[in-house]
Amino acid sequence: MSDERSAGAGTDAISKAAAEGCAESRLLMSRRGVLGLSVGLYSWAFMPKFAEAASSGNDPRLLIVILRGGMDGINTVVPHGDKAYVSMRGSIALPRSATIRLDNFFGLHPALDNFGKMYRKKEAAIVHATCVPLHNRSHFDGQDNLENGQPGLASNSTGWLNRLLTGLPKGDPILAHGAIQVGEAPLILHGPAPVLGWSPSSFANMDRTTEYLIRTLYREHDKDMYQFLERGLKADALAEKVGKDDGNVSSLRRGFRGAARLLAAKTGPRIAVLSVGGWDTHSDQGGATGSFANVLSELDLGLDDFKAEAGKAWDQSVVVCATEFGRTVRVNGSDGTDHGVGTVAMLAGGAVRGGKVYGDWPGLAAPKLYDGSDLRPTTDLRSVFKGILKEHMDVPNTILDETVFPESKSVKAMKNLVRSGGKKKKKSASDAMEMFGTAPQRPEQPIARYRRGDKVSGEFSATLMENLPPVPLRPN
Amino acid sequence: MALSAEKARKAHIAFQRFGLGCTPGQFDKVGRNAEEALFDEVRSGRIAKIPSAKLPSYAKACSDSQKGKSEDLRRKELDARVDKHLDVQIGFVERLVIFWSNHFSMTVRKSSAVRGTIGQLERDVIREHVLGDFSKMLIGVLTHPAMISYLDNDDSVGPNSEYGLQRGAGFNENLARETMELYTVGSGGGYTEEDVTNLSLMLTGWSYVRGWEADNKYNGGNSRNRGKFIFHRKWHEPGKIRLMGKVYPAKGQSQALKALRDLAAMPETAEHIAFKLVRHFITDEPTPEMVEPLKNKFLATNGDLKAVSMELLRLPEAFTAPLTKLRTPYELAIAQFRALRQRYSDDGYWSFASPLNALGNMPWEYLTPEGYPDETLFWLDPDGMTLRLETALYAGWVYDDRMKGTPVKLARDLFGGVLTRDTLERVDAANNVANALAILFCSPEFQRR
Repeated sequence: MSDERSAGAGTDAISKAAAEGCAESRLLMSRRGVLGLSVGLYSWAFMPKFAEAASSGNDPRLLIVILRGGMDGINTVVPHGDKAYVSMRGSIALPRSATIRLDNFFGLHPALDNFGKMYRKKEAAIVHATCVPLHNRSHFDGQDNLENGQPGLASNSTGWLNRLLTGLPKGDPILAHGAIQVGEAPLILHGPAPVLGWSPSSFANMDRTTEYLIRTLYREHDKDMYQFLERGLKADALAEKVGKDDGNVSSLRRGFRGAARLLAAKTGPRIAVLSVGGWDTHSDQGGATGSFANVLSELDLGLDDFKAEAGKAWDQSVVVCATEFGRTVRVNGSDGTDHGVGTVAMLAGGAVRGGKVYGDWPGLAAPKLYDGSDLRPTTDLRSVFKGILKEHMDVPNTILDETVFPESKSVKAMKNLVRSGGKKKKKSASDAMEMFGTAPQRPEQPIARYRRGDKVSGEFSATLMENLPPVPLRPN
Repeated sequence: MALSAEKARKAHIAFQRFGLGCTPGQFDKVGRNAEEALFDEVRSGRIAKIPSAKLPSYAKACSDSQKGKSEDLRRKELDARVDKHLDVQIGFVERLVIFWSNHFSMTVRKSSAVRGTIGQLERDVIREHVLGDFSKMLIGVLTHPAMISYLDNDDSVGPNSEYGLQRGAGFNENLARETMELYTVGSGGGYTEEDVTNLSLMLTGWSYVRGWEADNKYNGGNSRNRGKFIFHRKWHEPGKIRLMGKVYPAKGQSQALKALRDLAAMPETAEHIAFKLVRHFITDEPTPEMVEPLKNKFLATNGDLKAVSMELLRLPEAFTAPLTKLRTPYELAIAQFRALRQRYSDDGYWSFASPLNALGNMPWEYLTPEGYPDETLFWLDPDGMTLRLETALYAGWVYDDRMKGTPVKLARDLFGGVLTRDTLERVDAANNVANALAILFCSPEFQRR
């Protein structure tokens, strides 16, 4: 096969790192998401109406980046001020001189150069010592927990972001222009609300003549396939700006660029999700350079691409990077780290109240550790998400506590993570309740609709992005 | 001699709706009497079985899955599954295997137990009973380590059991809930939250021997039962338990076995299975006129899946309803292999796996227990369509230099008289073999089922 035909980004850092995780995580990669590998999924959903209603002139964007594999928060945002750091980390400890200074206590991994610049411009922040509520150190269970928003193990839950969307009032124009979920949509978007997918293409670039032959074949013989293909081509055209020099960067970076273009578009989506693999650093993770640094660097470039392509929309954007768990505090015998608990969440975007490391530092000395081995989580990751949804998108507490993150009333939303936080005129709770429907914690089964005598289908909506610019139908 | 238009239409329906796609030379053969050809597959004895000395026994799969060999096992089983798909004339029974495997959907991402034994489960439980007794299939799956692990039953302990009282351990209801909602009576099937709790209690003590238990001779584990299903009497909730109005006396493991047999025979279960079969094979919107005959056959035969599957073929809609559903990406990949009479090479597995990963349809990898949806719009979406084009061309690139004959001849071989002139002309107009195959694989004749 010629080079032109080979799939994927080839030799990017993420794929190398992904090949080095533990067996379980390497295998998870195959499906759960590695945009950095041969192909990625990218899903979005339209902005809930309530945010628009609650804050005129404000048009917030949200990108959630799921870091799959368990990111080492301790070497991402290094606690130089903690005396135990150097001895615990041994061969992989980063000296203060090697990191980017964040404050008197913390330094940022040098691979996060662009993120460091955003931090200095107060457009990026960190929440340290955070974790999902489930602490069993399993990739599968942890990723499920991160995405389904449940307090513990749950076998068939909808995703929390889908429940947020499901809360939209019926008949909302956004739902009418909604989209549908793609096969590989991540669990966080799993559920009845319409979600549209987009993937940066990486299999084959079909020549225009062949594409034309297929499009016209559908136009004559299969109206549905024709309509859906046309929408897909429109989305590609918008996200990838055909002709732009995107071919030479990894599919991960193309994913970040596409996300930015779609979120920035006037009629485009307002919430997007993207997955990045390669964080399962069991061995030879390196220090200022090495495999972990390479993955961080790729993420850093992606974030910078996002900022560049978002343009003015950057000012109204929040990007949250979160992972299923952190790593052990002590370096292991293979110069790596094993599955742990506490880690960091990274926030970026013009709307972030940046330049700060949030959270309470629990300490790295042996007696302070969680189960004797891990960074003790002092902030429930749900608090971070709740804080952003509340301040950035005006989602009321009642919805956050029960629908989006069930049984989480005691897990308070973090305050002041977002610039506009606390300043906006809030709608009363009763108004908010009126606007929201209910969102099922479990997907409804088709047999239930049949038994009620309802239309069985409709779980996946056919309503689409009507407003995207057309793709001309022309052969070469 | 070419088939009549009506016979060609029925042949197309047999291969698309009920089968895995045509192979060159078979269209006219099957088309002589397409309905009878389908019945013949169901009648031909143990057609579903995969006889191979190379594939592991239950004991071997269980043990090896706890020794770090899970991924090898998965790959070997998947290859054998694909080979079997290519080895049958129409593939109706293979489609039933895929249907039932998805009815008890699990993901290999959950644990090495699932990853290493799901193929063996499909081979020895699903294929064993796909034309047999539904209750045996149900019990076979629920007493398998893959399912125990997948739905977190391995640490489920009755609060009043000996161990539960000592340790304050508790039970997990995931397996019981999905058994009611997904595997038997189904949502709206008349069960209550209390029934879910009570079935969970009956299932306490149903576990499997984890690797560390075998290594340490802990909890009854040893080298002989490593990875296998195990019933822990000391974890089992004592006493009689009520389920859906009936009381089940304390009888250890037999208590839940009896309850599962009863659940399998309920009219709600019959309806649920009938509904799912019609929805999978015929239409997104099954009507009672289509569901009732299958339900009644299920009840009249005590859940004989051979009789029920034949009843599906006898529905008036079976050969009259238009082909409005879409092949899943996995079915597409198999249909391509069958059309080309070859599958991926042993070192070309990625050319099979990467498109399926991108399109989100790898076998044994759906995110949640309800399995890959049978709703057409789950697959028919903008991103899915652009990926279908890309992956069709990708297949063209992989196979163009290995195919025999011309794409135009292949198109005629696969679709006979139902091939539209528009498709044929476009396949012919393509400027190379890969593009011609891409057009053929994207054509409505190939995509719809």
